[in-house]
Amino acid sequence: MAAKPGSAPVTYSPNLGQKTRPPIFKDNDLDWVRPDGRGFHQCRPAFFRTGAVNSASGSAYAELGSTKVIVSVFGPRESKKAMMYSDTGRLNCNVSYTTFATPVRGQGSDHKEFSSMLLKALEGAIMLETFPKTTVDVFALVLESGGSDLPVVISCASLALADAGIMMYDLVAAVSVSCLGKNLVIDPVLEEESYQDGSLMLTCMPSRYEVTQLTFTGEWSTPDINEAMQLCLDACSKLGKVMRTCLKEAASASQE
Amino acid sequence: MEEADEMVTPGEVLGKATDLKAGKGAYAASHNNTIYASLTGFRRIQAPPPASNDKRPTVEVTGHKAHGPVPEPGSVVIARVTKVMARTASADIMCVGPKSVREKFTGIIRQQDVRATEIDKVDMHLSFRPGDIVRAVVLSLGDARAYYLSTAKNELGVVSAESSAGATMVPISWTEMQCPLTGQIELRKVAKVVN
Repeated sequence: MAAKPGSAPVTYSPNLGQKTRPPIFKDNDLDWVRPDGRGFHQCRPAFFRTGAVNSASGSAYAELGSTKVIVSVFGPRESKKAMMYSDTGRLNCNVSYTTFATPVRGQGSDHKEFSSMLLKALEGAIMLETFPKTTVDVFALVLESGGSDLPVVISCASLALADAGIMMYDLVAAVSVSCLGKNLVIDPVLEEESYQDGSLMLTCMPSRYEVTQLTFTGEWSTPDINEAMQLCLDACSKLGKVMRTCLKEAASASQE
Repeated sequence: MEEADEMVTPGEVLGKATDLKAGKGAYAASHNNTIYASLTGFRRIQAPPPASNDKRPTVEVTGHKAHGPVPEPGSVVIARVTKVMARTASADIMCVGPKSVREKFTGIIRQQDVRATEIDKVDMHLSFRPGDIVRAVVLSLGDARAYYLSTAKNELGVVSAESSAGATMVPISWTEMQCPLTGQIELRKVAKVVN
């Protein structure tokens, strides 16, 4: 354990303040500082605001560090004619990037993989039977990509759905963890994501303590998986609280 | 019995299913017998109706915005006729119950659903015209394209129609409406408007 403050230091620990990020990741046990100076298990401060888009039924804006996302929800509206008949409602998700979202200026484009993952993460939490035969459209736009884009999009989308008054079993909070050597860093930024060995994203319904989606990529060991999942679950429940506060603030503001 | 209002968000625990019943904006989870909120709003507890056997009060979440109304079987809708064909008439649903819809929904009135009697002798062109406002009931969710609507009741049918002269017509019988300007009589499936 760490030395008590005031008593003589028994262990050696590197001084965090003076150290700069090493350019090359040398040893597995090497300690380093995250690009934004956070602790390994410290999330970026989360900012949420609902009602960002006037024309939508519901919308939300989320900002975690430099990741900025806006999600608008439309509907429930009539399903497209080409769709097959369905007794329950449908969810249609679309994630796209603005042209200026990434450091390299590219064409802002639809992200098919994120779209389907957003759909899978959300559809378990929505009471689809409350709007039979109709479709709810969820459009997410990443304004600035600063790492952990998909978790931010998912959390923001669940807020937008709540803002639209879509019946849900619970809010959905999402957090990702990157594995860098022996270390687990939560809520990675773009730079950390670029040299990660593996990543894990967990989306859950914090109040029901149920996981709606779990994604692994890269290289993981079993103890790391356990630790990462515990980290994510705890972070999700805390993120859920932040999201609830935002919803309550918005609802009480509209009452006045 | 009304309890002090408390703001809740989706997923918040409202109580135990053994003490409370889930009303609007709430649901009961069977695996742990807990009642959760499914909407943002105020938690409100309503006393059970004195006649019922169930003595549990109902917990509701009300007050904040819900999503736009969606037609469901059995709901009364107001629709505008857009197209009249030999066997069917299409209509755009504008209101579900007392609420106007935010998005467009299309409905179909089939020949056999226009009126309750002599359903095989219905002439669609003598029942509706494009532009008519009809009150109808949603029979079923229909097919992939449209909701099936029915006007086979006295209080259902055309509630407002414009004549070819452009005036709003006055109903004069179950099947006729008259133009106040020209006196011309047009045929419709007229609704008995109850106030």
